[in-house]
Amino acid sequence: MRIEGLYTFDGPREDLWELLRDPKVLAACLPGTQSLRQVGEREYEGEIGVRVGPISGAFAGKLSVTNEVPPASSTLTVEGKGKVGFLKGVGNIELTDQGQGKTLMKYTGEVQIGGKVASVGQRLFDSVSRGMIDQALGKLNEMLQARIASR
Amino acid sequence: MTKKLIGQRVLRNEDPRLLTGQAQFVDDVEIPGLLHAAFLRSDHAHARLLSMDVTAARQRPGVVAVFTAEDMGDDWEPGPPLVSPPPTAKDVLFYSRRQVPLVKGKVRHAGEAMAMVIAESRYIAEDAVEDIVVDVEPLEAVVDLEKALQPGSPLVHDDLESNLAAHLFQKKGDYEAARRQADLVLQRRIVIDRGAAAAMENRGIVAQWDEKSQHLTVWDTTQAPIPIRNGLASRLGLSENQVRVIAPFIGGGFGPKMMMFYAEEMVIPWAAMKLKRPIKWIEDRRENFYATTQERGQIHDVEIALSRDGHILGLKDVFLHDTGAYDPYGLTIPLNTQCHAMGPYDIKNYSTEVSVVFTNKTLVTPVRGAGRPQGIFVIERLLDAAAKELGIDPVEIRRRNLIPADAFPYEHGIIDQAFSPLILDSGNYWPVMQKALEMIGYEKFVREEQPRLRKEGKHVGIGITPFIESTGVGPYEGARVTVEASGKIHVATGVGTQGQGHFTTFAQVVADQLGVAVSDVRIVSGDTAEFHWGTGTFASRGAVVAGNAIHAAASIVRRKVLELASKELQTPQDELELEGGMVRVADIPHKSISLSELASLANPLRGAVVPGTEPGLEATSYFGPRYGATAFGVHAMILEIDPETMMIEIKRYVTVEDCGTVLNPLILEGQIHGGVSLGIGNAYYEKLHFDENGQLLNASFMDYLIPSATEMPRIEVGHMETRSPLNELGTKGVGEAGTIPVPALFSQAVEDALADRELEILESPLSPNRLYELWSRKEAR
Repeated sequence: MRIEGLYTFDGPREDLWELLRDPKVLAACLPGTQSLRQVGEREYEGEIGVRVGPISGAFAGKLSVTNEVPPASSTLTVEGKGKVGFLKGVGNIELTDQGQGKTLMKYTGEVQIGGKVASVGQRLFDSVSRGMIDQALGKLNEMLQARIASR
Repeated sequence: MTKKLIGQRVLRNEDPRLLTGQAQFVDDVEIPGLLHAAFLRSDHAHARLLSMDVTAARQRPGVVAVFTAEDMGDDWEPGPPLVSPPPTAKDVLFYSRRQVPLVKGKVRHAGEAMAMVIAESRYIAEDAVEDIVVDVEPLEAVVDLEKALQPGSPLVHDDLESNLAAHLFQKKGDYEAARRQADLVLQRRIVIDRGAAAAMENRGIVAQWDEKSQHLTVWDTTQAPIPIRNGLASRLGLSENQVRVIAPFIGGGFGPKMMMFYAEEMVIPWAAMKLKRPIKWIEDRRENFYATTQERGQIHDVEIALSRDGHILGLKDVFLHDTGAYDPYGLTIPLNTQCHAMGPYDIKNYSTEVSVVFTNKTLVTPVRGAGRPQGIFVIERLLDAAAKELGIDPVEIRRRNLIPADAFPYEHGIIDQAFSPLILDSGNYWPVMQKALEMIGYEKFVREEQPRLRKEGKHVGIGITPFIESTGVGPYEGARVTVEASGKIHVATGVGTQGQGHFTTFAQVVADQLGVAVSDVRIVSGDTAEFHWGTGTFASRGAVVAGNAIHAAASIVRRKVLELASKELQTPQDELELEGGMVRVADIPHKSISLSELASLANPLRGAVVPGTEPGLEATSYFGPRYGATAFGVHAMILEIDPETMMIEIKRYVTVEDCGTVLNPLILEGQIHGGVSLGIGNAYYEKLHFDENGQLLNASFMDYLIPSATEMPRIEVGHMETRSPLNELGTKGVGEAGTIPVPALFSQAVEDALADRELEILESPLSPNRLYELWSRKEAR
């Protein structure tokens, strides 16, 4: 399944980039995150609880960040599995300075899901993932503004 | 003599029990100390199994055992072939790969059973399944039939060179020569996708091993208890007489419950013996979507050659058939497709070539229709295209090609699913079609109503589709008929019953022979302790093969009754008649003796008998046809489409069936109604969506739509009778007839309704979405 979208942040690109590199921030933003530990240079392990229609359960997995071009782009690779199935995804984010302190994030990705979450939750997966992304980016934007305000 | 019961609308003997909840189904079996099983199933469609840790599952309180393939040791072996392998001959390639009890080494489809948990309750078993930690290496999945055969494709079975499971070429006449003489040659690519059988009752098994009597009893939702008994005995190292398989009432079979030797069918009885405890497993609906067999996926590249006046000169079909991860059911389905792609037509030149393909999807075995709907879809779509090209009425082009009544038995010159010559035993096709045309009012609709409705802006269309159905195949079935001391009749036969009304139609056959009420005939089917020779209920063969065996046994019992009564009443046999449970002297009604008295006389408790005397009024007999009888039918429909939503309303639905002698019109109509319902599903609602990774995306009734009461039209059923010369009752099967022509018929009617856009439908199933896509690509004329 393909995921793509745009989101405009109310803050400069460099600040956003810094936030994105902080696992604590990521853990706070991603809805349902139960834990997130740094295990390598840009590798994290953690658990996330997901609910897709009638299916709910925890996924345990890895997140790694590669191809970093600060503060413009990077590649995220996710792999997780749990009692309700598995998930694999690769995504790219690009940050563009929009001027006037605004940054545009363009994200694209391919997600593969399997097991119960695919066979029963498929119909809802699209809207659930969209919802989760919107929620995560909204939270990230809040944290970005808080960071700017605290300076 | 009383009015014959065969042919009467007798109400079903079994209904009071079924309708008041008194009939036994597998899940009704309760045994003290019963354990429950749950299965860990693969999330991946294709993966290498690296490790499985069941420690935590075993430690969970209430868990009795956890088994993996490793734990089965030498008892782990793939299931048996379910049909005879194809003959080793030129032009036949077949690689047999059978389903495994539990995954070893490699997962080959999503939902394949990997481990089994046995626990005090299903709740505990399900929880323990989640305790199992599995490590797999995901592999690229084989999903698309064409890509599967390309070099470099990942392999479903690593020991084979490719994903080709079988290849079979058959021909009659000379297609290329016919093509050279043709005025019109049409080539089409036709794609048919998968659907589920979706029986109301999922699968279920209860197994009980009695250590003291060394006896295994298995209750199984199988259509074929005798092959399951024999196979289990062989696998478990038991005598066949130590195993009893009972197929009680079953909430629908439709093919996937045949002698399948599913993983669960193999491991539940095995575990019951290991643990010396009874075990129950009832499939849930999601498991049914993954783990119960499916059917229909084929891609045809087909070509038809015709003369200007619409006569078919030849047909050439090259197609792919999806068999899923394994192919235990051999070539039954693609052979049925090959035999039905000529439809009811007199086609002299035919060339057909199938490649069967392994994919990382659930196994494919027959589902009601079993390759026949695909064959009929192919030929009927081609004829509709040809009718349009040649400017011939769709009914007329069919009439010109139907096999004429004087051509029967009609030998096609290719082999059928039993590897026997394909012979259509009997038929009289055109009058059946005429009757369907009359019933639906074809002329009037096309001349008057349709033009008027079109003027009003309505999208109405009509379709009419003839089809054949090969039925009543061998090898044989048997039955034992007994007159009991009560004067009532007991009949035992090997075929199982899944809702077909066997307890009534079979009773009618017996009642006619023995002059008793239908309600006084008790049928027992599907219990190997009662009767243990035979194969099972499939291929529309129950009424034909078991029906004629029962008829034969009842005829012998009738003879025994008359012989004994003749002696007792001192009257020649030809002056006796059987009626109302009595044998009477025809002219002297008070000179009579009851069946009850005769049964007692035939089983004396004291005294001497003539040496060689057999006790009782009982007989066992068998019937095996020389080859299968072929039924014929025509379905017609009028539908209206709302082009805004592409929702369809079926205004009229007519079927005329010729299945030889009708045993019970009421039950026949029920069979047709059920079949049409699946056909409508196959045509417009039911499609299993697999993604490119082999994940089934609609494994629930929220997303997989089956027609409900609101999608079902009122069905008008007409009958014609051309008796089969192959059996005494003259019957042909009808179990799959309702389903076979529907997608072809539906497409024809949809094209007619949307005639303003010259739509051509070359795929099945459609859906409102898909129809809209096809429709919106075409410009309005």
